[in-house]
Formats: sequence, structure tokens, C-alpha cells
Amino acid sequence: MTTTAAAPPIEETRPEITRSRPQGIAVLPTLVLLLGALYCLFPVAWVVIASTKSPGELFRTFTFAPGVSIFDNVVDLSTYQGGIYWRWTVNTALYAGVGGLASAFLSGITGYAFAKFRFPGRAFLFNVLLAGVLVPSIILAIPQYLLLAKMGLTNTYWAVLLPSIVSPYGMYLARIYAAAAIPDSLIEAARTDGASEWRIFTAVALPVMRPGLVTVFLFQFVAIWNNFLLPFIMLSDDRKFPVTVGLYTLLNRGNTVPALYTLVITGSLLSIIPLVALFLTLQRYWRIDLVSGAVRA
Amino acid sequence: MTTAVDRVGRPVRRTTSRAVPYAFLAPAIVLFTVFLLLPIGYAAYLSFRRVQVKGLGLGPGSRIEVFAGLANYRAALGDGELWRGALRVLGYGAILLPTMLGLALLFALLLDLHRSRLRRFSRISIFLPYAVPSVIASLLWGFLYLPAVSPGQYLLRAAGFSEIDLMTSRTIYVALVNIAVWGGVGFNMLVIYTALRAIPHELYESARLDGCSEFQVAWRIKIPLVMPALILTTVFSAIATLQVFSEPTTLRPLTNSLSTTWTPLMKVYRDAFVRNDLYSAAATTMVLAVFTLIVSLGFLRLVQSRAFGQENQ
Amino acid sequence: MRRGFKRFTTTATVLLAGAVLVAGCSSGDGGGNNPNQKVELTFWTWVPNIDKVVEKWNATHPNIHVTASNQAQGDELVTKLLTAAKAGNPPDLAQVEYQALPTLVSNDVLADIKNETTAAKADFADGVWATVTLGTDAVYAVPQDVGPMMLYYRQDEFTRLGLTVPKTWDEFAAAAATVRTKSPKQFLTTFSSADPGWFVGLVQQAGGSWWGVNGDTWKVSVNDAATKKVADYWGKLVADGVVDDQPMYTPEWNKALNDGTLIAWPSAVWGPGVLAGNAADTKGKWAMAPLPQWSASENKTGSWGGSTTGVTKGSKNKAAAAQFAVWLNTDPEATAGLVREGGIYPASKAAQAGPALQKAPDFFSNQADFYVVAKGIADTAAGFTFGPNVNVTYSAYKDSFAKAIAEKTAFAGAVEAMQTATVSDMQAKGFKLG
Repeated sequence: MTTTAAAPPIEETRPEITRSRPQGIAVLPTLVLLLGALYCLFPVAWVVIASTKSPGELFRTFTFAPGVSIFDNVVDLSTYQGGIYWRWTVNTALYAGVGGLASAFLSGITGYAFAKFRFPGRAFLFNVLLAGVLVPSIILAIPQYLLLAKMGLTNTYWAVLLPSIVSPYGMYLARIYAAAAIPDSLIEAARTDGASEWRIFTAVALPVMRPGLVTVFLFQFVAIWNNFLLPFIMLSDDRKFPVTVGLYTLLNRGNTVPALYTLVITGSLLSIIPLVALFLTLQRYWRIDLVSGAVRA
Repeated sequence: MTTAVDRVGRPVRRTTSRAVPYAFLAPAIVLFTVFLLLPIGYAAYLSFRRVQVKGLGLGPGSRIEVFAGLANYRAALGDGELWRGALRVLGYGAILLPTMLGLALLFALLLDLHRSRLRRFSRISIFLPYAVPSVIASLLWGFLYLPAVSPGQYLLRAAGFSEIDLMTSRTIYVALVNIAVWGGVGFNMLVIYTALRAIPHELYESARLDGCSEFQVAWRIKIPLVMPALILTTVFSAIATLQVFSEPTTLRPLTNSLSTTWTPLMKVYRDAFVRNDLYSAAATTMVLAVFTLIVSLGFLRLVQSRAFGQENQ
Repeated sequence: MRRGFKRFTTTATVLLAGAVLVAGCSSGDGGGNNPNQKVELTFWTWVPNIDKVVEKWNATHPNIHVTASNQAQGDELVTKLLTAAKAGNPPDLAQVEYQALPTLVSNDVLADIKNETTAAKADFADGVWATVTLGTDAVYAVPQDVGPMMLYYRQDEFTRLGLTVPKTWDEFAAAAATVRTKSPKQFLTTFSSADPGWFVGLVQQAGGSWWGVNGDTWKVSVNDAATKKVADYWGKLVADGVVDDQPMYTPEWNKALNDGTLIAWPSAVWGPGVLAGNAADTKGKWAMAPLPQWSASENKTGSWGGSTTGVTKGSKNKAAAAQFAVWLNTDPEATAGLVREGGIYPASKAAQAGPALQKAPDFFSNQADFYVVAKGIADTAAGFTFGPNVNVTYSAYKDSFAKAIAEKTAFAGAVEAMQTATVSDMQAKGFKLG
């Protein structure tokens, strides 16, 4: 990778560049994006519409005909079994939030180490870590349960958090971002100034890797938010369930008991909202300001 | 090695300890060993064991675990259903991967165009499917696919056409690919988009000043520069495809065209969670993992230089 | 620098280890061995609203506190039970379906509670009691509810189409054909490849028997004559197009119940709850009758579903747990609560004649003697011996019947596939087959 000496910050040159670009709207790209957006929104529209129907209407009226019972459904959901749905939501936020943060941090530090250091065993260790994705979680679930049972940790919050922190995909992503975004010159400069390696990581590398790590955080957050099998196997106390497992028990109650369809659909809709809010909040981290103007080959 | 000097001009010894990278990697390695290696090891151990029943098999001590040698592996490799499942997955992947990754790349490039409008709306809309909980997937796709309740079929009927059965043994691939694309294009788009945003803009400005169209800029400059991210998403999507489980499981209760062993991983799930036979499940998983490893290693070797071209090799 | 690292890693390791220890200490259930202390029991069940019934017990039994937890149902709960038992921390009590009992007993998960249940035995029908003893001297669970099968049909549609309630399966086939001729958009009912329990109930009615024991040898006869008869009967109906072939419990099936596309449902005594949940607006339009019979002089039925309450071997308070299991399923207040809150049909004979079942279910307000008829039908339920690998047979049912429907092949072939799968699985595990 070739590096140049630090160039003047780009911000000063940006306004000129923007002014020289044509200002019209690109119709075709906008249209294609809109089509893609509509394709993705269509099933989500079903969730919204279905959650406005009362239980009797759900299988009686036309699929996309809205009802007026959204408020009743939310009330029913909130009062079911003493408001356990909201407890599930808090649980999920805990699992996904803490797990996502821990995972992003771990991926960051691991990706940085792989990208910016040369050491014996580097390729081997990386390949072993990556090989973790080869074995699907379905086969790991029961062995992980037995292992955690030996540690006495089953049916606790740790049982869901700890296995979720390691994310080979996140580490791979972080490595790529670290390699692309952090110039060696910066690290060398900091080392020359006498900074500790830890300080270099937190003060120099982390801020530059932030957009990539935000992606890793979002990925792992959603993965844990939607994870079903791990909490299903690990937890036997329904007060510790995340929303996925909780709604599953409302939907799959066996042949002999009616499923609580409306509650499940309303619960699913409500659980999308925090994810949308999170996504909107994190969007600003994807505006990247490069620290130096080095050219990447 | 030249001697570095600090700001005052005194020579500074490089004291970066050799242990630094290992210390940084320690947490990941510990967690990985405990939560991935040990369970994988246990699963591998189980794949060489099986249950032996004594007598009627009811009552205490009537089931013991014995060494099985390669019996589970022979059973797995000799199971015609496993090979048929593998073929189905390959066919499914052949349709899914180009579609999903092509769309993800296209949307990412379009989002990166300064002149596209509604970018924020499109970005979040395309990401939204990733946020829909999988617990209602069977319900959701049941409502959208099954003829009696599907709005699409309703429109077809209203327009005078006959219904299209999306869940015959042939068309089920389309139904499954649709679900996978809908659910997966958002995240892959994001990964590529983030990589695109990391490219400094001066790189295109000179090309634009030379008169290149946006399409040429995309084709000649952007795509090659995001190649590592593209390869990343391709490899991981390919691995996820080989391990496809949730989409067929979602559609299975709705149709007669899918079996409980339609893909290899569904067979693993059935063995482990329905038949409570962890031993066969473990053996099948090991076979599947080896196959996936060969495929991904082969692909990575092909593109090794492109994947990590930005690091000092 | 080096010191900074070491400090960081040491602190992190200490924190992590400390957290693990703290969590480990706080997560375990403090099982009191002191007899004066309150006994804490955990109960894994999926009966809706069962916490209200459990509250009654807790109020009247201050020394034995039961906590119910709803986390999975049916087969999934069996998997969780097996895993928990293997790890050494099973619950004290669990709801177990009849067909899962041999699997759990075979894995040494359930305790023998014969001593605590000698008095309760009289409250249950012999056939039902046999399913919890598995033909041995031991008692592995207390029966909770039963699911005798009966026919539900849309009275208004039957009148409109000029149909009479079929009393034999031949009449049923004729009615199915009539429906298709008179109203091509409607079906009498559907054959579902997704519900093996339903099929087993019909096989029971026909006198089929899939597993039998002779000494310490098992006999597997999934492909016996009765099963083939049932399979061929339904295969012909599907092939002739006079019944639908869609699976049950899908959005389309729910809609079909609502809009009259399906006008009859061979189901079990818990059917009203499902119909009320999925087709609420058809309330009062349905009626219940005994299942059609294979010959006009017969009066038999089979069972679809039904579960028991078992005590696990790993429980530290088996006597107390067994006491609760007996109370839950025989005490008049408890069973009344199960009926009202959980919507189940109790296995206890006293409860079947009890006050909670005097009035017809709300959904069948047009049929005042609903539960009287139901009790009569329940008494005719045939018994059945389940084998140690029921799950293998049931998942083979789903695959082979789905395949037979999709490929339009004979259902007898599907039955043979089930037989092969069951036999080869038992052979692989070392069972002696005769």
C-alpha cells in the first residue's frame, strides 16, 4: 500500500467539488431505488395492516384491507400475562444492546490486531476464527447448553449474552475496514510520539474504524435481536425470554390450543420500531471523514 | 530499521512488545475457544458415538452411549436424501447468489450517486426486512403466497388470469429465493455501501472531469475498489446459502412440496431436535462443514489477493 | 506500555471471571434440603393460563411452592427436557404428551410415582391409565387431558347443500362427492399431511396398532391392515378430488373455515377452542357429531392429542411433586380451573362429569348437550401403544404423505415408507424387533 504524506484536510476542497457537479435529479436511479424500496416494504405493509385487524377479521377480510383495532391489539398485548411482552422487549434490548456493543468492540480490537500487526500464526489464527461460521448454530446449541450447564449458567442472562459476543463475520468486516481506513503512517506517528499500543487503538484506530464498527454493531444487534434458537435452548424462565422466543410461545401452542395470531403480529410490529429508530440514529456514522487524504491503491 | 526520533529530537526505542497483537486477540480467542471450539469438539466427539439399547429400552439404564466408529458418517454419506438436499441447495444458491448480490451491489451504487433522490427513504426501506422477526415468517409468507389469502393472486384473478401456484415442486425455488432476497439484500447492500463511502471522492472527480459517465465511473473505479467487500459478502452469503434452513422451514407448514429434510441443515435440525438423535446430526454437520470449507477455501484462494490487497502482504 | 497491557488484560480477565462466578452463584435454584423450609418446584407446561390454577395450590399449600413456566410445547418441550436432564438440571414437573412418554422413559427422564398415585388410579379410564404405565408395574405420569375425536360440521352449509350427517365413512365419501358436484368451490374437508396426530387418531378408530411388546421384543406394524385401510380410503378421496389436500393450521386453512370453503372438520374434543380462535364469526353455525364409523354397528373413536403431568427423575422433591401432579389432575377445583382457564378436556372421570362441563362451550351454544355427547364419545376411545421412537414415525408421516400428495402416488406407499423409517431407526439403536 502506498502512502503519501498527510494531505490537507478534504473539507476545504469539498465545496468546490460539489459546485462542479450537475445538479439535476437522476431519474432512473431514483426509480430503481424506489422500486427496490417498495418491494422490500410490501411484506412489512402486511405486518402493519394485519396488526390493525381484530382476531375475527384476520382470516375473514381481504389481506390488505386495514382494520381499526390497532389500539385494542396493543392493549391486549400489553395486558397479556401481566405485561410480559414489555419485559421481553427489555430483555431483548439488553441482550442485543450489550451483546452488540461487546461484539463490536471485540471485533474492532480483533480486526485491528489482524490488520495492523505481523506476527507468527496470524494467518492460522484468522482462518480458525473464520472457520467458526462453517458450523451452524443448530448443531452448537445443545453442546453449548451442556457446557453452560456445567458452568451453572443456564437460564441466566449470561447464557444468551456470552455466546453471542463472538462474531467471525464481524471480525472479518472489522479487519477489512481497519486495513482500508487506518494508514500505517498514523500508527507509526503515534508510536513515535510514545503512545501505548492501547492508547493508539482507542485514540487513533477506533475513531477511524467507527463507521465500519457501526455496521458490525448493527449487524450483531439485529442478529441477536432476531436470534431464536440460542435463547430458546438456554432459557427456561419465560420472564427472561427475548421477544422472539416469547412471541413463538404465543404462536406455537400446539394443535389443541388456538394460537394468539393478533398478539404475535402486533408484537412483531412493535419490535420493528426500535430497530428502525436504531437504524436512523446510526445513519450519521456512515458519513465518513477520512483523517488523511492518503491515496489507496 | 531507522531510528525514530520524538518531537524533541531524542531517539526513541521502538518498544512495541511482540505480545501486543496476542494480547489484543486474547479475548476473542478465549471466547471463541469456550463457545465455539469446545462445542464443536464435543459435537465432533458425538459424531463417533451412538445409542445402544438393552432389552426393551424402557426403564433405567436401558440406553447407553457406545463408540460407533464411522457408522454415523457412513449412514450420512450413504443417505440419498442428503445428496438430493445438497443438489437442491446448489440449485437454490445458483439462483439466489447472483440475484441477491447483484441487487445489493446495484442498490449500493445507486445510493452512492449524489444525484439520486429519496436515498434515505430507500436505504431504510431496503434494510427494513432484516428487522422483521422470523417468528412470523410462516404467517407472513402464508398470507402473501397462499392463493386464498394472497393479494397478488387476488389481483391475478381480478385481471382474469389464473392463479400462479408459487409452491409446486418447481416454483418453490422462486418462492424461497424471493424470501431470501427480500430478507438479505438490505444488509449486503449496507456492507457494500459502507465500503463505497470509504473511497475518497477525488478518485472519481478526475475521471468525471475527463468526461466519464457515472456508469463508467461505477464500472471502472468503484466496483474494483470495493472488491474486498464484494468478496466478503459473496463468501459469507455462499456459506449461508449452503447452510440454508430458515426459508424452507418457514414454507414447509404451508405446502406439500417441501420435506423436513429438503436441505442438509434441515436434516441436521430434524435429527437433533425432532428425533433427539444428536449423533447423526453431528456426523451430518461435520460432513457439511468439510464440504463448505472446501468450497470457501477454493473460492478464497482464487480471490486471495483481491480480498486483502490493501494490506501489506 | 507493556505494563498498561498487562493491567488491561488482568483487569479484564478478573472482571470476566468474577462476573461468571457471581452469575453462577446467583443463578442456581436454592433447593432447600431442610424439611422445614419451603419446597420450590418448577413445572414446565403449555396449558394456557395455568398460573391461575397453580395459584390455588400455592395458596393452600404454603410449604410447597410451584412455579409454572411456559416455554415450549409438545415435541420441543421433549427436546428441552431431554437436554436439561442430560445436563442435570431438569424441572421437577413437566407436561408430557401421551406419545412422548415412551421416549422420555427410555431416556430415564421420568420418575416412577406409583406410590403417590395408588388412590388416583380409579379416577381414570383403564385405556388412559395404560398409556401412563406403559404396560409395566410403574406409573410414569398422571393423565391430564384427553382428546377423543369427533366430527364438527357446518350445520347451515349441510342444510343448504341437502346433506345429512354421515354415520359411516362410506356416507362421508358420498357426502364429499356431493359437495363438489353441487358447489365446486367448496370441499367437505381436507387431508393434511402436516398432522400425524390426526392420522393416528383415525387409525386408532380403525383398530390399528403400530407398536406392540412381546417380552423384550418390539413388534412394529405401522403398515398393518387397519392403517392401510385408512390410508387407502383417504388416498382415494384425495385422488378423486373430493377432499382438499392442503395442510391444516395455515392462513389459507383458517380462511377456509371462515368463509365456508371447508364445511367439516374431523377433530377432537378441544376443537371448539381452535374454531373460536380461528373462525370466530362462524360461532353458532357448527355442530358436533360422532366420527363416521367403518361399519354401521360400530361405535368407536380414536384420540388426537392429550397430555399428562410427569415428575422427573432429577427432581429433588419427587414426593411433593407427585402430590402436586395428582392434585392438578384429580382435585375438583384444579380440574375445573384447567377446563375454564386452559380449555382442556380433563382425563379424570369425575371432572368429565363435573360442574365446569355442564354447559356447552360458548362457540357451540347451539348444542346444549355438547359435553354429554362428548363424554359418551370419550368412553369409546380405543387404546394405543406408542413406541420408543414416535418422533421418527411422525416426521416420516409428514414427509411421505406430503410427497404422496405432491407426486400423486398411492398413500399405501407412504405408509410403507413410515414403516421402513421406524424399523430401521429402531434397528440402528439396537432394539430387538420381532
